[in-house]
This record gives sequence, structure tokens and C-alpha cells, in this order.
Amino acid sequence: MATGRRRLLGALGALALLPVAGRLVMPGPATAAEPLRVVATTGMIADLVRAVAGERAEVVQLMGAGVDPHLYRATRTDMAAMLRADVIFYNGLLLEGRMTDAFVRVATSGKPVHAVTELIGEERLLEPDGADGHYDPHVWMDPTAWAGALTVVRDALVARDPAGEPAYRAGADGYHADLDRLHAYSKDVLDSVPPQRRVLVTAHDAFGYFGRAYGFEVVGIQGLSTESEAGLQAVESIVGLLVERRIPAVFVESTIPDRSVRALVAGAAARGHTVAVGGELYSDAMGPPGTYEGTYVGMIDHNVTTIARALGGDAPERGLDGRLAQAQ
Amino acid sequence: MQTFLQLDLPAMLAALFATMACALLGNFLVLRRQSLMGDAISHAVLPGIVGAFLLAGTRAAGPLFAGAIAAALVAVVLIELVRRYGRLESGTAMGVVFSVMFAAGVVMMEQAAAQNVDLDADCILYGQLEGILWLAAAGPESLLDPAALAALPREVVVLAGVLAVTALAVFAFRKELTLASFDPELATTLGFPAGMINLGLMVLVGAVAVAAFEAVGSILVIAMFICPAAAARMLTDRLGVQIALSLAFAAVAALGGYALAAFAPLWLGVDRALAASGMIAVVSGVLMALAILLGPVHGVLGRRMAGRRVA
Repeated sequence: MATGRRRLLGALGALALLPVAGRLVMPGPATAAEPLRVVATTGMIADLVRAVAGERAEVVQLMGAGVDPHLYRATRTDMAAMLRADVIFYNGLLLEGRMTDAFVRVATSGKPVHAVTELIGEERLLEPDGADGHYDPHVWMDPTAWAGALTVVRDALVARDPAGEPAYRAGADGYHADLDRLHAYSKDVLDSVPPQRRVLVTAHDAFGYFGRAYGFEVVGIQGLSTESEAGLQAVESIVGLLVERRIPAVFVESTIPDRSVRALVAGAAARGHTVAVGGELYSDAMGPPGTYEGTYVGMIDHNVTTIARALGGDAPERGLDGRLAQAQ
Repeated sequence: MQTFLQLDLPAMLAALFATMACALLGNFLVLRRQSLMGDAISHAVLPGIVGAFLLAGTRAAGPLFAGAIAAALVAVVLIELVRRYGRLESGTAMGVVFSVMFAAGVVMMEQAAAQNVDLDADCILYGQLEGILWLAAAGPESLLDPAALAALPREVVVLAGVLAVTALAVFAFRKELTLASFDPELATTLGFPAGMINLGLMVLVGAVAVAAFEAVGSILVIAMFICPAAAARMLTDRLGVQIALSLAFAAVAALGGYALAAFAPLWLGVDRALAASGMIAVVSGVLMALAILLGPVHGVLGRRMAGRRVA
């Protein structure tokens, strides 16, 4: 068990040493205590909790790689895990559309249930046109905004387990440093994309925060939720945009069928402009567990590197730390 | 033990009450060849939900539930009217009404979508058994503790009420319902208002269907209006016996199906539970298949034996 957890931590690169640092501060019985039982919905949240808590928590992640959180329904196994948990973290902002009720119910029993986006100020949240008070939930796409989730997780863990405070603070600071490094890299490589090509066309509107952070225009073929279908008119106008601005690539997402993206490629080809599928981006879930892309940093690194390279920017083929899987 | 009380007991009770209420009314629907009424209502409520949302401007459960009930009642009345005045067979009448109402709902939804609001009937109206929790349960003593019992999940209380009202209504009007179901002309000649009784039954079906959708989801409700009653019909020609059998089948399906979905994967060493309402519907289908095969009078085996005896 411990080696499994250490392997996951090892995947976080620089963070691997943090639990050790925590142990130096809190020697003896604190580490021998039962680990906290934490439930997290998405992989992005689970990754964050593992980094903050290290070996002080056992993290159960409900939604695996390639799962669409908008449509996910809780199973009995999930509910039982939530009832057993000491702390529960979910994304909030209606990302887990079909589980929101369950969180509200479990919270009424007095268990700490936290939306990791709860401390991110309204001014930092995006409200898509006419969405009427419903904010865009895909906050993790911008590492600087996602740092707000780090605070929620750290404070909730400290409140539940005050003895571990130094370890949690050290874990959170280390992760924050990683997010800063990731952000600096992203800014760097995305700034190398020629300005008129800074348009990101994907299947659904998951990249709003990404676009804001790095000055990209973001066009989703479907709406904000994966439920809605692409309208013919929308496809037509996006094809027009691709042809006009000579955009070389569009992208598919790991949790969504790529039918509508392929329609764009065919549409542009019919008008004499070649558009490539620039690669698969991770939007609502991370890559397979155990790989670099199966961590938050790896996921964003993969997206940023893929986007920059496909749109004509300069980025190392293997990404931030040379750890990305070789492109096919 | 605490997990069982918090998680499994409320879900099993909700499943039990919902399946029994549906099965009870299903007996009369099967006799009238209107078994697909549950399916029809599950589609026909859409315009009610969207309309309530557009009027009330909120996604709160209360107004949307009221809209769903209203639409279900409009649907059952329309089906009755189309059947009677259009002189159509009841399957056709149901098909016409529910597809038109569903289409109207989709058109209204586009209107809501134009305001960029994400309205998902699946999210709002259809509940799921796994979400029904009795968090006040601390141990077996909670079963006798009034404070803990008062905190029973709303779905369980509502469904218990729905089942009680349905059972009372069916018991009080058993003669009228029976006669109106088998022979409406004779019922009218004898002075029973068969039309009123039909309408009353349909209103009850609409209310049960919506209440059950909200707690346990649509697949289970649609299956439970049909399978237990149809299976019981294979085994007997007496209505009283048929009703009793259908209730027993509903209970077996609810409890057996839940246990199979929740616990069987664990026995097999898989730590992912299956969807309970789907499994309950599957068990009711299996019971139906067994009844068709093994039924003593109407079943395949029964008829074989009878044929051999005559020969």
C-alpha cells in the first residue's frame, strides 16, 4: 500500500520528497496514526489531495480516466465510500451535474464536504454568455486559478487533522511551486504561437479558463455541457473561421466522441484548407493512472505542448520535464 | 451495519414501495391492454417540466415536480379523450399523445436552450436509488427512535404514502375497477360510471408514475407497471389472486434485484456495485420469463401438458 502511494507521489516529480519533509517536522506517532479517508470526484482533485496530504490520507477517486463528470452517476460503491470518508472534495459549479444532490445530502450529516472551487472569487470565475449565474466549472484548465482549490483542500485537511498541519502546509506549498513552474512553461511555449493562430477549436467549451490565461480564443463545437449536440450552423461558422485565419489544427478530447471535430476537418477540406487533428487533449479527466499524463501537471503539460506544437509554436517534444509520452 | 441502515435500507424500502404501487395499478393496465402507460407518461411529463421551469425561472424541485404532475394528468386525460372520441385502440392513443407531448417538450426546451440554460430532465426529474440516504441512522436502535425515524429520506415517506393511497383506492373501488376493466358496457348498464372510474385510475397512474420517477428513475417504473402484473396473469385467471401474486413478484424483484446489484459483485470479488434500478427491472423480467415458461395454465409447459392430456 505504502509503496503504491509512493509511486503516485513519485510521478509528481519534485513533490516526492515532501512527505519526508513532513515527517521530519512531525516525528513519531503522527505518521503511525490511521490515514484520513478522503473521497475526491475527479482525478484532478485526487491528484491535488494526494500531493497535499502525502501518506496522511488514503484517497478514493470516484471518476477514473476517460470518464465524463457531467454525466457520471454515483454507484452504491461510491456512496458507501462517501459515507465512510472523513473528508469529501468535489469540483462544484455543477460539474458533477448528477451527483450534486448526493453531496448536499451527505453534507447535512455534518461531514466535511467541500467544493474545491468554493474559495475562488467570483471575479476569477468565467460566466459564459447568457449562462445566467452558472459559472464555467472547468477551472483546472488555468493552473493559477486551480491554486485556489489548493487552499480549500489544505484548510479542510488541517481542520480535520490539526496534528498534520505542517505536513499539509509543506505539501500545499510544494504543489503551488509546481503549479507556478507549469504556468511559466505554458506561458512561454504558448506565447511562441503566432498571434493570428491563437485559436483553440475543440469539441466542448472546456477550455475557457485556458483561453483567458494564455490569450487564446476558444471555440467549442458543443456547448458547455457535453449533453448538447453540435448544431449544423455552429459547424459551418467554425469552418469559416478556420479557413479565414488559416488555422492549421483542431483538437479532440479524451472524454468526448470526436465525430463533430472530424466534421470540421472535412468541412475545411471541402473549401480547400487543410486542417489537421492536432491531437487529443485531456479536458474533463486525466490520462491513464500510473503514467505522467495521469497526473495534473502531466495533463496540462500534455495539453499545452500539444496545442503549441500543432498551431506552429515552439515547444519541446517531450514537454516541460521531458516526461511526456512520445507523440504518435 | 450502519452502512446498511444508512444506504441499503432506505433504498430497498423506496424500491419496495415504488414497485408495489406500480405493480398494483399495473394489474388493471394489463387487463386493459394499456401496459405502456408508464412509458407514455415518462415522455409526456417533459413539457410540464420545461413549462414549469420557464414560468418559475428556477430549477428547484418543487415547481418542476408540480409541472410534471400537471403534464401527466393532461396526458392521461388526453389519452382517454383520443381513445374515446377518436375511436382508436388504446395503444395508438397513447402513442399519439405521448409522442406529440414529448415533441412539444423538446421544442420548448430549445426555447430554454436559446437562453443558454442547461436543463436536463434526467438530472432534475429522475432520481436514483443510490441517492436515497438515511443519514440519521446510527445503529439498530434508530429503527425505534422517533427522532431518527422523522429524518427518514423524503422519497421513502412519499412513496409509502403513495402506496397507501393507491392500495386504499384499489380496495375501496375493487368491484367497480374490476367490472370497468373487464366489461365497461356492462358497468355502465349497471349504473357504474365507467368513464369516471377509468379517469380516476388514470389519474392515480399518473401520480404514482411521477412520484416514483422522482425517487427511483424511469426504467424501473416502466418495467414495474408491466412485468409483475403480466407474470401474475400467466399463473391465474382470478383477479384477486393475480393482484396478490403481482405484489409478491414486485417485492421479490425489488429486494432480490437490489441485493444482486449491491452485494453480488462483492461476493464475486468485484468492488464496483451495479445500478440497482436496472437490476430490479432485469429480475422482474426474469420472473416474467419463468412465468411464461412454467405457468400451469397459460404457460408453455402448462399448455403442452394440457395438450397431451386431451390427446
